[in-house]
Order: sequence, then C-alpha cells, then structure tokens
Amino acid sequence: MMVDIEIEIDGKVVHGYPGESLISIADREGIDIPRFCYHKKLSVAANCRMCLVDIEGNPTPQPACSTLSSAGMKVHTNNEKAKTAQKAVMEFLLINHPLDCPICDQGGECELQDVAMEYGSDISRFTEGKRIVDDKGIGALIQTDMTRCIHCTRCVRFGAEVAGIVEMGATGRGEDLKIEPFLSEGIQSELSGNMIDVCPVGALTSKPFRYDVRSWQMNSIQTIARHDLVGSNIFTQTHKNKVKRVVARDNESINETWISDRDRFSYQGVNNENRVLIPKIKIEGEWQDTSWDDALDFATNGIKKHAKEGSQFGTLASKNATLEELYLLQKFTRGLGSDNLDYRLDASNPNNAKVLESNISLTELETIDHALIVNSYLRLEQPMINHRIRKATLNGASVSTINAKAFDFNYRISHSVLTSPQNTVATLSGVLKALHDKSSKTLPDYLNSVTVHETHTDIANVLLNAKNPVVVLGEHMNGNTCSDQVAKLVSEIAKASDAKTINASLTGNTHSAERVNFRPDNGKNALQILSSDLTAFALFDVYPNFDCIDSKNAIEHLSRDDAFVVVMNSFDDESVSSFANVILPIASFYETSGTHINVDNIAQSYSASVKSAGESKPGWKVIKVLADLLNLQGFDFTDSSQIADEALSLTPRISEIEVPTSNSKMPNITTVWQYTPYASDVVVRHASSLQQTQIGQMSEASVCKATAKLLKLSEGDLYKGVPVNINESVAEGCVFVHTNLPRQLGVV
Amino acid sequence: MISDQAKKEINTWVAKYPEGKQSSAVMQALTIVQKENGGSLTNELKQAVADYLEMPTISVQEVATFYENYNHKPVGKHVVRFCHNISCMLNGSDELISYLEEKLDVKTGEISKDGLVSVKRVECLGACVGGPMCQIGDQYYEKLTKKRIDEILDGLK
Repeated sequence: MMVDIEIEIDGKVVHGYPGESLISIADREGIDIPRFCYHKKLSVAANCRMCLVDIEGNPTPQPACSTLSSAGMKVHTNNEKAKTAQKAVMEFLLINHPLDCPICDQGGECELQDVAMEYGSDISRFTEGKRIVDDKGIGALIQTDMTRCIHCTRCVRFGAEVAGIVEMGATGRGEDLKIEPFLSEGIQSELSGNMIDVCPVGALTSKPFRYDVRSWQMNSIQTIARHDLVGSNIFTQTHKNKVKRVVARDNESINETWISDRDRFSYQGVNNENRVLIPKIKIEGEWQDTSWDDALDFATNGIKKHAKEGSQFGTLASKNATLEELYLLQKFTRGLGSDNLDYRLDASNPNNAKVLESNISLTELETIDHALIVNSYLRLEQPMINHRIRKATLNGASVSTINAKAFDFNYRISHSVLTSPQNTVATLSGVLKALHDKSSKTLPDYLNSVTVHETHTDIANVLLNAKNPVVVLGEHMNGNTCSDQVAKLVSEIAKASDAKTINASLTGNTHSAERVNFRPDNGKNALQILSSDLTAFALFDVYPNFDCIDSKNAIEHLSRDDAFVVVMNSFDDESVSSFANVILPIASFYETSGTHINVDNIAQSYSASVKSAGESKPGWKVIKVLADLLNLQGFDFTDSSQIADEALSLTPRISEIEVPTSNSKMPNITTVWQYTPYASDVVVRHASSLQQTQIGQMSEASVCKATAKLLKLSEGDLYKGVPVNINESVAEGCVFVHTNLPRQLGVV
Repeated sequence: MISDQAKKEINTWVAKYPEGKQSSAVMQALTIVQKENGGSLTNELKQAVADYLEMPTISVQEVATFYENYNHKPVGKHVVRFCHNISCMLNGSDELISYLEEKLDVKTGEISKDGLVSVKRVECLGACVGGPMCQIGDQYYEKLTKKRIDEILDGLK
C-alpha cells in the first residue's frame, strides 16, 4: 500500500511516496536539481554526484537520486552547503572535459553546458593537461567523441536495461576509465539511437547530423513516425525547409521516451536525391516532364478512356499512406464504381476476412506474464512493441515462439517451436488441441485428426498457467498461402487460453486502411488486381519490385499494352517508370499533414514539418483534384483535418466471413521472405545511414543442412538472389530469407 | 577455445555460486584461461569466457581491464609486477623500476629479448610494510634494492 508522506524541499511542503527518491519528487514539483547520471527511465547509479543536496541532520550533502524520502525530511537544494558541493562537483567534472563547445554538435542543447552555466565557476583553476581518449568507431548512426565523456554511464545502463543488448561498457579504471564497446564492430541494437538522446554531453551524437546545423537554428515540430504499428511521437527538427534530425518526444502510453532507429534516421530518405519532383507523362514510350494541369488531364482522360466501366479500374496503395489519403483513395475508387482496391500487397492470400484483432494496449503489455510470438521477428519488426514485452520479461514474464527460425531476441525464449510455413497450421492446431485437451472442452471437428506433440503441450501448458498471456502474430504470416487459417488458429488459441492478442502482421498505417475499409467487399484484392484483365490502375506510393509478393508478375501485368497506370509516387523507381503512363509526384513523410492509427486504435494527427519537395503535392490534394476532374461528388475538402473528421466519423464495415478450414496445397519446400527493418518501406530504403548498419546490411538465406541438400544449395550460393547460409536454426522444409534486396520471388 | 581441463576448473568455481549466477565466476575463469594461455588474454579468449559464462563480452572486458591481474598483451615467462603506489613510491620504487627497465632493456609492458621477463607497474599489493616490493609468480619480494633485484633476476630461468 502506497502511503503519501510529507517532506520539505527548500521550505516548500511536498508529497511523495516512501521509498521515492528525492530527485523524482523534486522533478514532479518543478524544483530544479542538476544531474547527469540520473535518468527517470534508467536505474540509479549515483556516480556523477551532481545532484548533491543538503539534508538537515546529515553531516554531508547526499545525492538526491539515490537518497530515498522519509517523512519529515527537510531538504535544501540551494543553501550554502548544497551550492558548495554542486560547485565542487562541477569543477571536478570539467577537469577533463574539453572546451570545444564551438565545434561540438551538442553545443546549445548540452546538459553539461547548461549546468556549468548555472552551477559552475566562471574560470577554471585546472592548469594541467587534460586527458584524451581514442575513439572506437561504433557504426554509421552514432558519432563518438569520447574525450567529452563524463562517465555518467547512461548509455551503458540504456544498453543493459532498455535495449537488452549490452554493448557499451566502462573499461579500465581510475583516470583510464573509458566508455566503449568491446570491439569496433558497430552497435547492433535497433534502439541504439536513444543513446544519443540520453548522453548528457557531446560524447555520443548523431552521425548523419554531424556538423550539419546548430541546434538553435532549427525549428522543432511535433509529429508522428509512420513506419510501424506504434506511431512513436517524435520531433522533426528542420532548417531551411529540410528535416535535419528526428528526436524522441515523450508519450508515456505510446513510446515512453524511446524511438527506434528506423523512426530516428529514416528522415534521410526524404532528403534523398531519388525523389520524383516534377509531374511526368509517357507519350509513345518517351517520358516528358510536364505541368500539373497537363499531367492531371492526361491521367483523367486515360482513366476515362481505359476504364469505361468502373469495374475495369483497380487501386493499390502503400500501407504507409495516411488515413486521409487512404480514405480519399477508396472514396475515389468506389466513386468510379470499382471495388477493386487493396493495400495488402505482400500477402500471398489477401483473404477478405480480418480474422485477428489486437485487443491489448501497449501499457498493458508490460503487465503480461507470458507471450507467445507466432511468425514474427518482433524485435526488428515492431521494436517498441517488443520493448514492452521485454519490460514484462524483466518483471518475470516468459516468452515462447512458433517461428520458422530461432531469432535473436533481447530476452530469453522459454519454449521455441521451429516450424516451416507449410507446417504452421499443423503446429498451431496441435497447440490448440492440447489446450482443448487440458481444459477438457469438446473438440471442434477440424482438430480430430491433429497430432499433438510434446512441444505443443509445453506451449499449451505455459499459456494455461499464465494469468495474463498474450499471443502476437507477426509478418511472416503474410507470405503463407494458408494465412487465413493461421490467423484463425491464433485467434482460437487466444480464446482457449484467455489470452489477449496483437496482430502485428500488417504494419505501418494499416489500422487506418482497415478503418476506411481499404479492401474489397466484393471486388478484387491485391493479387487479383495484379492478375486479372483490369485496364486502368492507380498506384499510390507503391514500388512493386519491393512491395508486391509476386513482383515479377505484378510488373509484367502492369506493363501490358492495354493497361493505363496512374502512379502517385514520391520516389523515382526504374520498374515503375517501365509500366507507368503518368507519374504524379506526391509529398513524402513529414511533407504532408495526416493521421496515423496505431495498434491501440489511437488516431494521431500531425501537420507537415516541411514543404513538399520540388513540385510534389500532398497526396490527399492530388486525389481530390483527380476526383474533381472526373466529376466525382463528395470531395469538397479544403483541409486534411476535414477528411480525417469524415473518415473517423464513419463506422467501418465489418465483414463477417467464414474462414475456410481446408488446407490449401503447399509445396514441400517454402520460403519465408523478410525484409530488414530498413527495407520495409520506400522512405527507409532511401535512408543511407541505416543501410550501412549491421541490421541494414543483413542479407542471407538461412537454410538447414537437410533442406539445403534437397535444394542442392551450398554455402555462399545464391537463393533467389540472396547468399545462402547453412545453419541449424531454421525449420526443416523452408528457407528463411532476411534481406534488403528486392523480392525475386514467385508466391512462396 | 577453452580447454576441457580449464572448463573443469571453471566449473568448480561456477558451482560455488547460486544457479544462474555463473557470471560471478568471471575472475577465476579469466585467471584460469590466462594461465593456460601463457599469462595473457586475447580478445578471442575473453569472448570465449563470455560465451561460456553466458554474459556480455563487454562485461568480461570491464572486469579484465579493471583488475591488474590480467594481461592484454603477451608477457614473458615471468612477470615482475612492481608496485608503484604511495608507500613503495616513497621508498624509491620509481628508481628501481627504471633500474629494472635499463637492466632488461625493456620498458614497462614489454618483454625482454630472451622472452623470459616482462615488467608491469601495478597498484598496491598490500605489502606496504616491506616496500618497495614486487611480485613474481606467486612470490612477494620485499625491501628491494638494486642488489636484491640483480639476485632475483639471476634466479629466474
């Protein structure tokens, strides 16, 4: 039971909980105590000594971060004793700190600079030589200047406590103490950029941002990161209409105070030279730059000519498009009389039913005691969701997985079942049957012939023994032709074990797509759109060679002579140029206002941080004008917020469709194709620094010995363009491709 | 990387700690593999110790660089660990270390040409009453003088 206690800080009566640190009470009350090593999200180290305060009855000043409050305590943060202590500590900290603020990127936003101004002395009494520390390179994202380090160990604790990969450490001792990684291999964590944010000095700064612009010259704009299901809150920092840097913005219920490296460094993609800047039309096979008016006329005339009936028209959109864009695009498509629209381009079975809902919030995820992760390398797919599960594991939760490969998670996996895509249904059925057996419920017919293995029973047992379990379904399901059954079984497993669920198979802004019903009711889905005889297409930020499950077929299909393809894209792409008839340049991330709906169904709207590059326009405006030119009704919007209001006021249609339980035939050997997190959408694919990281460079087709023999593959061969790595962490009967290369793949 | 014999020795230390706390045996493990490797550690060995005790490599590195017991470069057959802390220093350790360096034609941290001896400055070894002092192998040599050093070096084979 938490009891309120009363203490006095600087004569002010304040309240705290017994056991709460003085600094945390002071922070809540707005009383300023200087600090370097203390961070509200990290453990208390009390090694910088900057937060010394005077406590009545104590002979010496005490650190406010590690001193716990007790009733009646009288604390002084700015009396003579406290001030003398703070000034002395400041002097010691500055002994070895270089005076290079004018050339330090942290200058102007440096905690050391600020605290030195406030609490330090004007002049230094130190005349001896300062120490210099050699830098170890730690990768493409973080620039190190370790001579500036004050050994607060925030980055070390961040690695051990938050990232879950201990990479930085304090080596040596005394004056030789250094903060460094073991080898200069580069930091591997997908959350590493947060070390830049926690570093109170200029020792760890952003490498892509280095020497670019001073911090006080930039505007900070509140916005939302659009790459994953979380919608992390960020600031874009802009200068002369360019995003120069992205930093985390606190939102306890969404991203706490962290963001993934993908969200932090992807802005480089937006600034990439490979953008489409001018509207282009293709006349007799030749591309011509043209005006917006001409391009829009060309597009609408083409649609009129090629899609005499609405049903000949099909629309494909990126899963990262904004709510507004998706809403208008579906209104546009349905206004033309077509129901052929989809965003699930990487699904080999884009079934109509949305079988699995997410029903647990990010904050609740920390309170689970078991997580079953199915078909997902969650750490790289959804770093912030994985982070919440890791926090749960630190409180004792266990995690089991059903995956095609044993992945490198940043927590211990208690039970792992390796299963190829073609066996996933059997494995999940086994677990479900074991669950039914344990709770002695009557078996549904389709489970009668299922064999239950010991591993299935193990997972069923941990699920049943858990009080608050969760089942997470991930991206690898999308390539599975039995994906509807997989999702259905996961949902049944959750029901049978009273577990909450997270559907992380569809990432980006897919909750918005579902909200506005951006999928066919009776029309054609993505696969059908790309294989039937439609004659007019609209593609919205789609790059088939990466985005479509069967890229070769998609490109061939769109290249047909009788097909008219209107492309609204933000990036230039060779294969798109080969089949498109008109390319309308649209604004990329941070250049348009919009709304992102996250896994908790929280709709977060944001405004544009910078103007659109070149002549490109926000997507919603382009769709609106196309609709106007085609005389479609209901597009009288002057502001994107009106579109969001209308989209969010509608209740999404729920299509109750029975999921088939018959097995569709799958080949004996299948492929699971996963992009690196830095190849997951077009913006991040163009972010050069992320591509240079270990995660970004990953490209290997893992296969076990037995399967390699069947496929006649040996180490180093190319499998669908990706180098083969033979190891026993992969399930038999499948090849697990993890790559940054475009898909060279027929369906599974 | 780690021999079976070394693993056996490490296991006796691991057994002294509660289950799951095997990383507590890191100092002994490092000592054992260092001894087996002729008195010094390599990155690969530290990596192997980390893997064997299921702990992050950087944490092994932290311990290995904190204590003077571990050598990160190859050493001679005998390591003269010479104390240079306050009591020994006041009693002339600096001069004796210089003498030693001159005599062996090495600097601290280097190995003599015959590969027999290397010199290392270390922090207090707890024998202040006998300073200046040094440690060679498991043996302490106290109240050192230049003459005594000559005798000791002559005795090393």
